[in-house]
Order: sequence, then structure tokens, then C-alpha cells
Amino acid sequence: MLRRTVASGSSMMRMAKLPLSSRTALASATTLPRRHYSPAAAVKLTNDISLETHTDTQMASRDQAAARAEASAGSSAKAAAIIDEIDTSGRTALNAAYQENTGFGTRPIYMDMQATTPTDPRVLDTMLKFFTGLYGNPHSNTHSYGWETNKEVETARDHIAKLIGADSKEIVFTSGATESNNMVVKGVARFYKKTKKHIITTRTEHKCVLEAARAMINEGFEVTFLPVDEAGLVDLKELEAAIRPDTCLVSVMAVNNEIGVIQPLKEIGQICKKHKVYFHTDAAQAYGKIKLDVNEMNIDLLSISSHKIYGPKGIGALYVRRRPRVRLEPLFSGGGQERGLRSGTLAPPLVAGFGEAARLMHQEFESDQAHIKRLSDKLVKGLLANDHTNLNGSASHRYPGCINVSFAYVEGESLLMALRDIALSSGSACTSASLEPSYVLHALGRDDALAHSSIRFGIGRFTTEREVDYVIKAISERVEFLRSISPLWEMVQEGIDLDSIEWSGH
Amino acid sequence: MPATPSRLQVLSLYKQFIRNSNQFNNFNFREYFLRISREKFKENAPIQDKEKVAKLYEAAQRDLGVLKRQKLISQMYTFDKLVVESAKDQGDSRS
Amino acid sequence: MLRTFFRSSTPLTLRRISASPVAARSASTFIGRQSFTPMRFYSAGAAKLDKDEVTRRVIDVIKAFGKSNAAATITPTTLFNKDLGLDSLDTVELLVAVEEEFDIEIPDKIADELKSVAETVDYITSNADAN
Repeated sequence: MLRRTVASGSSMMRMAKLPLSSRTALASATTLPRRHYSPAAAVKLTNDISLETHTDTQMASRDQAAARAEASAGSSAKAAAIIDEIDTSGRTALNAAYQENTGFGTRPIYMDMQATTPTDPRVLDTMLKFFTGLYGNPHSNTHSYGWETNKEVETARDHIAKLIGADSKEIVFTSGATESNNMVVKGVARFYKKTKKHIITTRTEHKCVLEAARAMINEGFEVTFLPVDEAGLVDLKELEAAIRPDTCLVSVMAVNNEIGVIQPLKEIGQICKKHKVYFHTDAAQAYGKIKLDVNEMNIDLLSISSHKIYGPKGIGALYVRRRPRVRLEPLFSGGGQERGLRSGTLAPPLVAGFGEAARLMHQEFESDQAHIKRLSDKLVKGLLANDHTNLNGSASHRYPGCINVSFAYVEGESLLMALRDIALSSGSACTSASLEPSYVLHALGRDDALAHSSIRFGIGRFTTEREVDYVIKAISERVEFLRSISPLWEMVQEGIDLDSIEWSGH
Repeated sequence: MPATPSRLQVLSLYKQFIRNSNQFNNFNFREYFLRISREKFKENAPIQDKEKVAKLYEAAQRDLGVLKRQKLISQMYTFDKLVVESAKDQGDSRS
Repeated sequence: MLRTFFRSSTPLTLRRISASPVAARSASTFIGRQSFTPMRFYSAGAAKLDKDEVTRRVIDVIKAFGKSNAAATITPTTLFNKDLGLDSLDTVELLVAVEEEFDIEIPDKIADELKSVAETVDYITSNADAN
């Protein structure tokens, strides 16, 4: 009974989704050949088509699951039993690794700081009074309830601006970095659409930037998706060459969410200034974690997320330069709050929590930095001590709190399954539900197999040394175990070149 | 202009930071506040400037208030212990 | 379901009862309560603690403290500052650990005077609340 309701619900979802995905596929299929591209962009675009497959990964994985269920239902019960046995025997062997630790807790260690961070108790403390007494609408200017809340909102805005050397008037509150990124890519492009038709971004951007840019293709814009080198960095010469007279925006993320690579922001800022193109950076993973200065780096727009800096979820901000003024068309129409760029009543508890989180990032910068660096170095050293492992992305231009390591001859998904005592992800949260390998690692030139066997580790303010020690030990043990049952590993040990093998299809 | 605290007052304040940090039920918060309390007090220990010490003392008292409230909240909403936490070492029950 | 409820609520109850020394003491006078938290009150009562036993436990606390630089050779004459290299802040922290071990509260003024293992042991054995 229950199952039937669920099933019909999901098919409804699928129906609702279908028109959307087919529409985008259709639109890009028809618009692509017609458009005029510079030679460099045209070459890139053919490769970029693979990005299209990511548009509806949820449905893809649902389809796959359905197909699997069908297949297993059709096969004999005996086969199912064998699969089951292999599965459970593997699991018992893995469980044995922490069976001996009785007397210890069961909650996994949290190592997915790129997805989100725990809310700092000091942030919660700041927020609580907004639920007990400070409930005024910050936009009410006729009474003290409004004034007192408004004062707190403006204090928060100051804290947020200070961290990037901006003026508080240049901060616009949004629901998060995804909204900020959409606001920029769509808003700037739409505002200047009469004269400018071109956007530049990179292939390793967060999904929301890539998808927003893709949406602008449908509105008649051209987008150059710059490739990155194997370290994950954009080539500055290539970036400069891609700028055209009708380019309105360059959007390059500050710190990559999957590999932790820091892009050369200052240099990109200089190039953009020289060519009078707006420079936007998605700093969701960078804000408060690396030194950022919008004036020194010539950043015109900068996206911030609160829950990546131990603040509350559901809020973010966009820095919009005032001098020289950056114009953008707002996504929302309404009462004209936030300089008319983002209408809608602010959420003071979230704003204040976000502000306190920013203040703490400033106050604890050196302390956090030293702590994270120390643990990160230890973790990298410990993980790379295993055979056939490597660090993805630049070793020098990186934020130490984000570590991405490939474990060759181990399937990432099975490793994650085997690591239920550690909360980890193989990539960004939005794609980890699917079995698709990370597009970021693909952009770095990693093959499918290696991209599949990569795991991302996030270290933050609240990570402890004891946890890092545990993770190193657990990963090393389980990688060894998974390899010991892997036929591929056996072949490697025997000295067989895997590339020489011809795989038969199935 | 706040009054300059005595040596004993500073030590007493430190003791309260340690005790309250110790009482967080959440492992990560407990370890963090212990670490940061140690760090901050050690860092500020050599400061001689009376005015500066007075200001730090005042700010630390506000922080202690936060710690006292938040440790209680941490004790109100509890979760299973982490896999690295032995059942014995908990946010200490005594205060 | 119910079990998880109990599991999560038990430490809280314990904490409440022992939250203030007064409550803890009055609770221990009720024999019936002993079964409630047997390990906490097993030695409750007026009986003074054995000095050797206290010394051993203090030394264990120091060893577990992990900050001292001569952990292996701690004797009653060991000085916190001179022998263990603890500064005044470290000593405060060590004494918090001692307080928790013996379920007592050392007044700040007295705590500041305790410079050695022996002095600490003397204070504990003279304190009727220690257990």
C-alpha cells in the first residue's frame, strides 16, 4: 500500500521532470550549430556536450536503480543469493575492522566539510535571541522592534563585508551561494544583453554556475567553458585570449569544492580590469578560509555561503561592487529590499548568525588556519603512504581543508560503502547521489576509473587529531582489504598491464 | 574603563573556561573549546598592559557566558557518541 | 525506540543529580539511591581516603593529563612547575582533572597554593567530600 503510493509519487516526479530535461536538450541541440563561435570556443564546446548528461542525474540514477531491480527480479533466486552472500561476507569482513572497538560510539566521523559545516555554538547563541524577543521586521521603520532588528542586521552586514575588504553597502543577502551565482550569471548578462553576448567561465565551476551559464545559452548568449590544466588551474593566457569585445562577465571560482584548488584570483582580476570585463568569483568554499580582498584582487562580484563557515543554512550573500558600479537585473521583483537587487523580507536570525560566523572566521583566522594546515598535512601524508594513491589537483595552490585523493584499483563507491564510520563524499553533494564520476576530475584529465576511485576529505575548525588518526588508519585498512578482493589488483600485482586487456562487453 | 583583574581572577576565569568546555556533550565542540581556551589564554598570558588585560578580561567574561549557555544546550540535545569516543569519556557530568 | 530515549536521557539525569555537590551528598544519604548510580557513590560516607591510594590516583591523573614532561617518574615530592614543566594555566587545568577525579571543588585561593603532588594529596585527604 505504502509502496504503491511512493511509486506513483516518484513517477509523478519523473513526469514533471521530463519536459524540463527534454526541453533543455532540445533547445541546446537546435541552437548549438546555428551559433557563431570563436575557433577556440568551438573546440571546447564539442567536449562540453558531455556536461549535458549531468542535467538530470537524479533521474538517471533512478532509472538505473529501476533497471537493476528488474534485472535481479528476472534472474534466478540462486544468483541473487550468491550476490547477497558476497555482499554480506564483504561487509562482515569490513565490519570486523571496527568490531573490536566495542565501548566506542557509533556516530560516524564528519569529514564532509565542503558539503556543509556544523553550526558553531557561538553562532547559535547569537541567533537564539531572535527567536525569544528580537522578532521585529528589520524593514519596519516605524517602531523600535524594527529598529533593533535592523541594527543587528546591519552589524552582521559589517562583519561580512569586513572579511573581504568591502563596504557593508556592497553586501546583498541571498538564500545562499547558489542564488548569488544565479543572480550574477543571469543578472549581469541580462542587464548588458543589448551590447554584450558572451560569458566566460571554467569547466570546474560548481554546478549552479555551469547550469546558469547553460541557461543563458538558451537566452542567446555564448559561453566559453575554459579548460583547466591537470592541476586544476585555468591558463591565464587562454583566459585573456577568450575575452572578446562583447564579453560581459568572467566567472571563476576561488576555491574548488571538490579538489580545493585556489585559482589565481589576483591575476584574473587584473586581466578583467584591463579588458573592462566584470569579474565574478564563487567564493563559497573560500570566503573566510583564504585571504580575499575585493579591491586588491579587482573582484566585482563575489558569492558567499553561510553554512560553509559554520553559520546557519539557508543564507548567503553577494558582494556587488559600487564603484565603479556593477549593474545587474534582479531575479526577484518586489519591495525593493537589498538595494532593489533582492526583494523579500530578510531573515534576521539567519543574517545575524551569518554575521557572527563571519566575525568568528575573522577572529579565529590564524588559529583555524594553523589547526587545519597541521591536520591536513598529517592526513595527506598518512593517506599517500598507501601504494597507488595520489592527490588530485595542485599541491601548492590549494586550500588545505579540502583534500581529494585517488585510490587506484578500488571502486570509490565500494570504499564509501566500506567506510560507514566516516562521513565522506566522492565529490560534490549534488552529484554524490549518482554513480557518475566527477566532472571536475574529468576536467583535470583523470580517467573514469580514477575519477571513480576518488574521495574528498574535508577538515575544519572542529575536526580533531584523534579523528584524523582514525581516518588514516581506517582508510588504509579498508583500501588494503578492497584491493585484496579485487581481481584488478591481483593482475597489477602480477605485473599485467591493465591497458593491454581487452574487456568484453556485457 | 573596566578594572584590571588580579592574577587569581584570571586563573579562576581560565578554570571556568576549562570546566565549561569539558561539559559539552558534543565531542567536536568540547575538544574545540578546550583547544581554543588553552590557545587564547597562553597567547594572552604575556600581556602586561593593564588596560589591554582589562579589556580582554571583560570580553572573556562575555565569551564565558556563551560557553555556559551553549554547553547546556549541548547537553539538552544529545546524539550518539562518535566512533572515536569511548563510552567513558563524555562531557563530564560533574560541574 | 524507548531504549534510545533512555540512553540519551540517562547521562542528563546523572548530571542533574551530581550537578551541585549538595545534591550529590544528600542523594548519597539515601541508601535506596545507591543502586541508581552505584559506581559514583560506592565509597560515599565519612571514611577518609587512604593516603597511598590518593597518591596513586593523583599520579594517574597527572599521567593521563599528557602535558607533563616527566610522566614516568612522578613521586609525592614532584613539583608541578619545576619538575613537570607546567605553567600556572596548565596547573589550573591539571587541578580541574584532579577535582573531577575526586568529585571535589578546590577553592581558587587554595588551588593557587598547591605546588606539588604531596600538597595536593594532603588537601584531598583532609577534605571529607572527596571520594
